[in-house]
Amino acid sequence: MSDSEDRPYQSMDFDAAMPDSEEPEHLDDQMAPPPVPKGKGRAAGDDDDKEEDDEDDEDEDEEDEDMGRKGKKRAKHRHKRAGASRFLDIEAEVSDEEEDEDEDEEEAADGFISTFDDVDEDISRRDHARLDRHLDTVEDKSPEQIARDLSKRYGGRAVRYTGDMNEIPQRLLMPSVHDASLWQVRVKPGRERDIIFSLMRKSIDVEYSAHPLNIHAAFQRDSLPGMIYVEARSAKQVQQACHGLVGVYPSRGIQLVPIEEMASLLQIKKQDLTVTPGSWVRIRRGKYAGDLAQVMDIAETGEDVGIRFVPRIDLTPRDEGSLDGAKKRKKQVTNATMRPPQRLFNFEEVTKVWGRKNVTKRNQVYVFQNDTYKDGLIEKDFKMSALILDDVNPTLDEITQFSKRQDGENEETVNLSIIAEASRKAAIAVLQPGDHVEVFEGEQAGVHGVVDEISQDVVTITAVGVDIDGQKVELPARSVRKRFKPGDHVKVMTGQNADETGLVVSVADNVVTFLSDMSMQEVSVFSKDLREAAEVGSGTNIVGNYELHDLVQLDAQTVGVIFKTERDSFRVLDQNGQVRLVQPHQISMRRDSSRAIATDSEGHELRINDNVKEVVDEGRKGRVLHTHQSFFAFLHNRDIVENGGVFVTRARSLASVAPKSNVLKTAGTDLSKMNPALVATGGMVGSGAMGRGPRDRDIGTTVMVVKGAHKGYAGTIKDTNGHIARVELRTGNKVISIEKDKLQRRYPDGKLEPLTVRPTQGQGNFGGGQRGPSSFGVPGGGRTPFNSVGRTPNPYAEGGRTPAWNASSRTPNPYAESGKTPAWNASSRTPNPYADGGRTPAWNANSRTPNPYATGANAGAGVGTGWGGATPGRTGGWGGATPGRNVNAGTGGGWGSSADSWADSSGPAWSAPTPAAAATPGLIGQTPAGYGAPTPASHTPAPWYDSSTSSMPPATPAAAPSWSSGNQLPSDDGPGDDWLFSPVIANFLPRIKVKIEGTKMDHYLNGDYENKRGRIPAVTKVTSEFEQTVLVYFDSGDSRTIQARYVVPLPPTYMGEEVLVIHGPQKGTVMVVREQPDDDRITVSSKANPAAVVGIPKSHALALYEDTGR
Amino acid sequence: MEPAIAAIPAQARSKQLRACLLCSIIQLPVDFRKNGCPNCEDVVQMKHNPDRISSCTTTYFDGVISVIDPDKSWVARWQRTSKYVRGMYAVRVKGRIPEDVEAELENRGLKYRPRDQTDQD
Repeated sequence: MSDSEDRPYQSMDFDAAMPDSEEPEHLDDQMAPPPVPKGKGRAAGDDDDKEEDDEDDEDEDEEDEDMGRKGKKRAKHRHKRAGASRFLDIEAEVSDEEEDEDEDEEEAADGFISTFDDVDEDISRRDHARLDRHLDTVEDKSPEQIARDLSKRYGGRAVRYTGDMNEIPQRLLMPSVHDASLWQVRVKPGRERDIIFSLMRKSIDVEYSAHPLNIHAAFQRDSLPGMIYVEARSAKQVQQACHGLVGVYPSRGIQLVPIEEMASLLQIKKQDLTVTPGSWVRIRRGKYAGDLAQVMDIAETGEDVGIRFVPRIDLTPRDEGSLDGAKKRKKQVTNATMRPPQRLFNFEEVTKVWGRKNVTKRNQVYVFQNDTYKDGLIEKDFKMSALILDDVNPTLDEITQFSKRQDGENEETVNLSIIAEASRKAAIAVLQPGDHVEVFEGEQAGVHGVVDEISQDVVTITAVGVDIDGQKVELPARSVRKRFKPGDHVKVMTGQNADETGLVVSVADNVVTFLSDMSMQEVSVFSKDLREAAEVGSGTNIVGNYELHDLVQLDAQTVGVIFKTERDSFRVLDQNGQVRLVQPHQISMRRDSSRAIATDSEGHELRINDNVKEVVDEGRKGRVLHTHQSFFAFLHNRDIVENGGVFVTRARSLASVAPKSNVLKTAGTDLSKMNPALVATGGMVGSGAMGRGPRDRDIGTTVMVVKGAHKGYAGTIKDTNGHIARVELRTGNKVISIEKDKLQRRYPDGKLEPLTVRPTQGQGNFGGGQRGPSSFGVPGGGRTPFNSVGRTPNPYAEGGRTPAWNASSRTPNPYAESGKTPAWNASSRTPNPYADGGRTPAWNANSRTPNPYATGANAGAGVGTGWGGATPGRTGGWGGATPGRNVNAGTGGGWGSSADSWADSSGPAWSAPTPAAAATPGLIGQTPAGYGAPTPASHTPAPWYDSSTSSMPPATPAAAPSWSSGNQLPSDDGPGDDWLFSPVIANFLPRIKVKIEGTKMDHYLNGDYENKRGRIPAVTKVTSEFEQTVLVYFDSGDSRTIQARYVVPLPPTYMGEEVLVIHGPQKGTVMVVREQPDDDRITVSSKANPAAVVGIPKSHALALYEDTGR
Repeated sequence: MEPAIAAIPAQARSKQLRACLLCSIIQLPVDFRKNGCPNCEDVVQMKHNPDRISSCTTTYFDGVISVIDPDKSWVARWQRTSKYVRGMYAVRVKGRIPEDVEAELENRGLKYRPRDQTDQD
């Protein structure tokens, strides 16, 4: 029914058809028809009459439908009109003949029939008389009477509360087609509420003007920024209403809200913001912004919340003046740049600083600066809006601060279940296929099974036991939890106890208690943080730059040994036997006591790693970790539970367990250390002089800041302390302190590389390598190939005159020196002769010549022995050395380029030895090492292999590093085959395209599966002693368990392919390749937003099979 | 007779705006104090009673409706304010009226519907 446009007309008809004696105009209508004279107007009127009748019928039909709703409206309208016509006779005179029936008739009546005039006048006269009479009575009334009448007339509505429509269920109030529509209007974000108010005021202002607003209501929701909703019959009315209001953008479209969505607009609920006493919140702003607080009570109105939290009292007020004088104190509070650390309220401390009169005690609580303190915590009322209620994620550290207040007497007040609830959402993320889970809520409560798949919030499990054994059940992820039973061996995945392992001793709901393998203590964690694991964890041993069992300097007088690492702090046992909790920044440096001298009770030299026992006291046994100032010895014994087995004792009270004479014999060379001259120059820590810790190898490195405020600045590392580096910026002549992970090493050619990647040569750090194999991070391939690796490149580099040589020529003295010896030069020229083949003996001769290396050994301690071992390795298996070079030599950018030039110049000469290298077991042995060496240039040798040796399978070591180089999975992930277990890919694992690579080389399964492609349904990590294996479903249809290290992911190959990004800002997301991938970069964008393309290194993307919906 | 109009607060963004817990009308505290609640004053009796105002109104509401034509507006009907005065109403008001007011409503045989959209039927 199109009633909005022609309602006035219809209603007239309707009224005409429905006799209503009370309306004067109706009298007209009724009386008019019969006596009207026939004429032009009448003829027209006749036709109209007929039409009108028809319409009347229709109208009546329609009226029946919505009588109730419209009848009132029409009556009102009618009334207005009647009132107007009473005074506006003029209208009738000027009206056109073509006008509608009523006026036609009026005109006719006025113009022609005098009798009707009389009747009309009669009526109006009667009306007037009635009005007069009415006025008379009104005037007769006393003011009291009038007041009573008025209050009766208006008061009932305003005062008497009737609860009106409260009995009607909401669903009966749903909008119908007869209701006005809702229109969505775009407005300036932030001005929604003002505009709603403006609309109200405007409607009042223009209410009695010529153009009143025709809208019924307008509203705004806080959760829908930038839009308001106006209730009106047509968009035009909305337009008119919004016209002239500031901040309304009708030009951006006035959109009709579908009728079924109208109600939901008003039903929008913010996420449930209810808080309950005991739950955790965070403070939104102010001095305590971000701090955790616990809800104590909630005001009845729900807007004020009483919370308690750890205070931040400034115990070092700026000036004495601020202690008195409220004004100054206020000023100081506003000084937001300095935020006092969180600290429990301590009456003594505070009175000491602020004076006793500033703190008053009432009952159990202290009052200080208008705040109440109880049990060390501040208790305060906050507005709900000033609190953050969601994503609170309290950490155990924060919570323990709260529990401390109980002085250890009642620590169970911390309601673990509330935290568990809050972090339940996070629990979904930690589920993995293969996990044992149980359903703890809903219809299936009690069922347990194994996770098959996880997609979004739905997990599919295969039920185990009872009725539905073996059936697959789909469940919401949040209603399942990991299931453990006593006796399971578990590993903690996240949190403070991350990486601890142990045997489960008890399970209570979602809290699992296990006996730690490391500390032999019971640890309680949430089941969500656990996984079943066979391995025995070592705990996180490295925080910042410090490791477990490091000797660290705490202050000028105190050193200590780290005996336990926690998430971001250490437990340190100092030389006085005291245990301290230390943050990395509190450590001034690491001490190296490897050359420290101490003697035991028998006067023998006490060396690190000696097994000793105390000759006094308890006679504890242990292994020497460190000695300090020739007096203290830090020992470690696994059997001692206390302090992680570390204890401190006096060196003089120790005696070697092994007969000492032997030790002296083997360490005979070290007698040189007894030479006082050497002791002095060697800077030995043990000499008592304040020695420096081992010099950080990053010092002097040219770096670029890649994160934070100084991003983009280049500079040089001047000093380091833990994970903090002091960097002298090139610009501004400024030295800043910055975390190391915000820095990347910058090479002269502009390439960047994380500092954690150790250059094995070049950058003047070659000397660093001498300190021991460990710093190279090379898997225990033995010292021999390793050392030859380090050296081998040099000759080639020399041959090619490449930058790599220059880089290594900057190495510290020992090498530079030896480099200058004629003998060394002779050997550096070796490749050429070797390539010729003719002069090979010369090489051997040189390498066996002890002289050059001996000189080197003299200059740098410890090199001699290492090198001596290297020599036979080199001469014995040339092939063995070659892959080593490929793996390690590529670290410097310089080497990559040298490889090219070298391949050009002497490629043919080289192709001969290469197959030999491929054939030797040495090469194969080295292959996996490539995974662990994320070196940008390591793929450079690839062309060389490919071009020169067609017999070489693609799975050359060169190919493997090319994966790992771009992948840059954290290098501490260990062997490259760990990529399969990376949490980043866990959810997409079944979709990742993989192929088998490298089996031919190893004759693994006869190489039958080489190059086959397929997918992996799931992975399970096994103990590190065993080979990781995975089941691969090959595209060809068969499947086979394959050792994980042969499984490599495929890079994207075509446009439109879906890829999983494993690095960078899009890490963990599935993207689609948008352009034909080129050699090393691809252009991708997400499915949802195809326009936002980004370029990423090809190696950061793993090709995926299409999502089959599973 | 045109329906009565509630006091329209001048400042839309005033932090003082308070919504009646019973009828959800939004007014400034000063208006509540001067005139009480235009819809349910006989029940809540806030006039000249600041304590009552703070217990029966709240600043914690979400969404603002300007009800211009209560009789015709579906929005007003949905919000059950179509018999109330014209004015500003909140879409959702957090909190419950004090217990004595609830008891009073019960006495009159009226059903109390909290304005926080917790119970919908």
